[in-house]
Amino acid sequence: MSNTHLIKRPLPDVVDVLVIGAGASGSVAVFELARNGFSVACLEQGDWTPATEFAGDKPEWELVKQKKWHPNPNVRQGPSDYPINTDESDVNPLLYNGVGGSTILYAAHWCRMMPSDFQTRTLDDVGDDWPFTYEDLQPFYEETERLMGVSGLGGDPAYPDEPSFPLPPLPLGKVGLKAAAGMDKLGWHWWPGANSIASKEVGHRPACLRYGACLTGCPAGAKASTDLTHWPDALEAGAHLVIGARVREITVDDKGLASGAVYIDRDGVEHTQKARIVVLAANGVGTPRLMLLSKSEHHPNGLANSTDLVGRRLMMHPYGAAVGTYEDELESWLGPAGQILHSMEFYETDKSRGFVRGAKWNLMPSGGPLGMRSGYGGRPVDESFGVNFHKNVKRVLGRSFEWGVIAEDLPDESNRVILDPELTDSDGIPAPKLLYKSSENTEKLIKWHVARAVEAHEAAGATSIETTELMRDCGWHLLGTTKMGNDPLTSVVNQWGAAHDCPNLIIIDGSVFTTSSGMNPTATIMANALRSIRHLVENRATQPMSGE
Amino acid sequence: MLTDEQRAVYSRLADVLIPSAEGMPSASEADVPTKWINDALGYRPDLVPAFLRALEIGADGEAEAAVLRINSTDSVAFDALGVLTSGSYFLNPAIKELIGYPGQVPSPAYDDTASYIDMLAAVVERGPIFRPTVT
Repeated sequence: MSNTHLIKRPLPDVVDVLVIGAGASGSVAVFELARNGFSVACLEQGDWTPATEFAGDKPEWELVKQKKWHPNPNVRQGPSDYPINTDESDVNPLLYNGVGGSTILYAAHWCRMMPSDFQTRTLDDVGDDWPFTYEDLQPFYEETERLMGVSGLGGDPAYPDEPSFPLPPLPLGKVGLKAAAGMDKLGWHWWPGANSIASKEVGHRPACLRYGACLTGCPAGAKASTDLTHWPDALEAGAHLVIGARVREITVDDKGLASGAVYIDRDGVEHTQKARIVVLAANGVGTPRLMLLSKSEHHPNGLANSTDLVGRRLMMHPYGAAVGTYEDELESWLGPAGQILHSMEFYETDKSRGFVRGAKWNLMPSGGPLGMRSGYGGRPVDESFGVNFHKNVKRVLGRSFEWGVIAEDLPDESNRVILDPELTDSDGIPAPKLLYKSSENTEKLIKWHVARAVEAHEAAGATSIETTELMRDCGWHLLGTTKMGNDPLTSVVNQWGAAHDCPNLIIIDGSVFTTSSGMNPTATIMANALRSIRHLVENRATQPMSGE
Repeated sequence: MLTDEQRAVYSRLADVLIPSAEGMPSASEADVPTKWINDALGYRPDLVPAFLRALEIGADGEAEAAVLRINSTDSVAFDALGVLTSGSYFLNPAIKELIGYPGQVPSPAYDDTASYIDMLAAVVERGPIFRPTVT
């Protein structure tokens, strides 16, 4: 990449658009606005994370990934992180704070939602329909896939348009071929996984080197994190980026319109940045936290929160898994990690199963020798150590892989983000607290799907299989906390992300998801962000703005 | 850095966790207590206090009983002891070679579509599996 991140320009006193958060959705907004002539500034509480810092190509990788590169901010406790109270949550939220946001540490599974995901009320009498359809979002998926350099194979019969991808698929390797053979025996759907990981050199990125370290940052720079895919071009186009800027409040003018933000730099100095439009892109926890922090005369219940829905309907995709071990040497430490295969066989609702909705399955490798062994305190010593230490390594290393189950999480207003009455971040700003319980439907769904994943391993010839029906550290997907809908009485934002109560506040991250789907959400977050910002650009003449 | 006394205690505990067996060397034979644990503690300074607690709890008596005592009285200390000992062992390139693990080395992506395209034909033949948009 170029050194454009070193560009320093004086910030205007008032910008056309202030974007809060430099992650997946914020990156889309900043690039799209800057290249269309808007003056745009982005406040990001984290910093740049150069690929040279990642440990995935270093001997100590498996040791440091359990701390410095852990996706749980409460474990990682980096200088950019804020604490999140999870005492009353079944699932831990996982995220990264920095330029590129959680794309720095995501697994880069690139999954469009299915048509039925946009119509759960119509089709299954649960959740709510989105205010638009798969077909409305489809061109924005395509455009985003080109910019992200997604690798995949066209023709998947799981989708109506059998999408093609700009780059060829990553290799299935021995793991993928073994799993595919099992699925074929059962007659179940499988397809080479689409990943936002470059199978060939593209844009600012080289081709994947299969370190298998995607979840701890790609040392090759092949994974499409938006610090690489969007920010260099956004800065070239004139965007302003302020790193180390932790926002504590979104300000409003005398009409109740968003007028900017107050932020604290890493020296503890408070600043105010004024703007005509504010875009929130701080993820499904950070965005409602900021809105709840921004109480004012016009918005006494928090910004744009007359419905009391801000922070509610939190969905985090509980995750189940079945790990199979095989006699064959499969080199199962190799990437991508990443999804080698996916399966949509059981994605759609079949009420005879005892639950509604479904899950995407993803096939992932199992990593190195240490990754298999942590958290054994309190368990029998000889289970993991002594002679069994060596036996386990020989049995499992390079010979195991995981079928993971992304369970659709239905919206429930009692699952929510609130402000913690006591816990604060390092700047003294109230921290978020999660109230989250997995539903009975979700528990039945995971149990059923994991049982099928066990059958998939058995069909592929696994010699032993271990299952997990709810992984606590699985909350990668933070969704639903500023619901999108047409009715101002039952939703926070409209279909373009504009808050019903504050029309120059545009929310574009996963908070706006009406329902969660059973898919990794980055593709939809970015495509929806592009759709919302494109609408803003095309309707700038009639867009309400502060200061008019 | 560990004192000589701490290192002696650790050496006995580490060999209980990773003994010489199954054709593999023990922790001390793999230079874990004398060399690799120093690197591991440097990579994970957050685990040092719990690790030192494990050495205190396990300082006396027969080594196997000491390991059991650490696990039963302080599971966090045992976790630190286990992760750092395993991690140190796998830092040793000779151990990596013995277990057949090359580490995280570059392995360029390649196109293996030809190896499975015939299998995929059966998936395609089974036809669409999505529910279309209701209009």
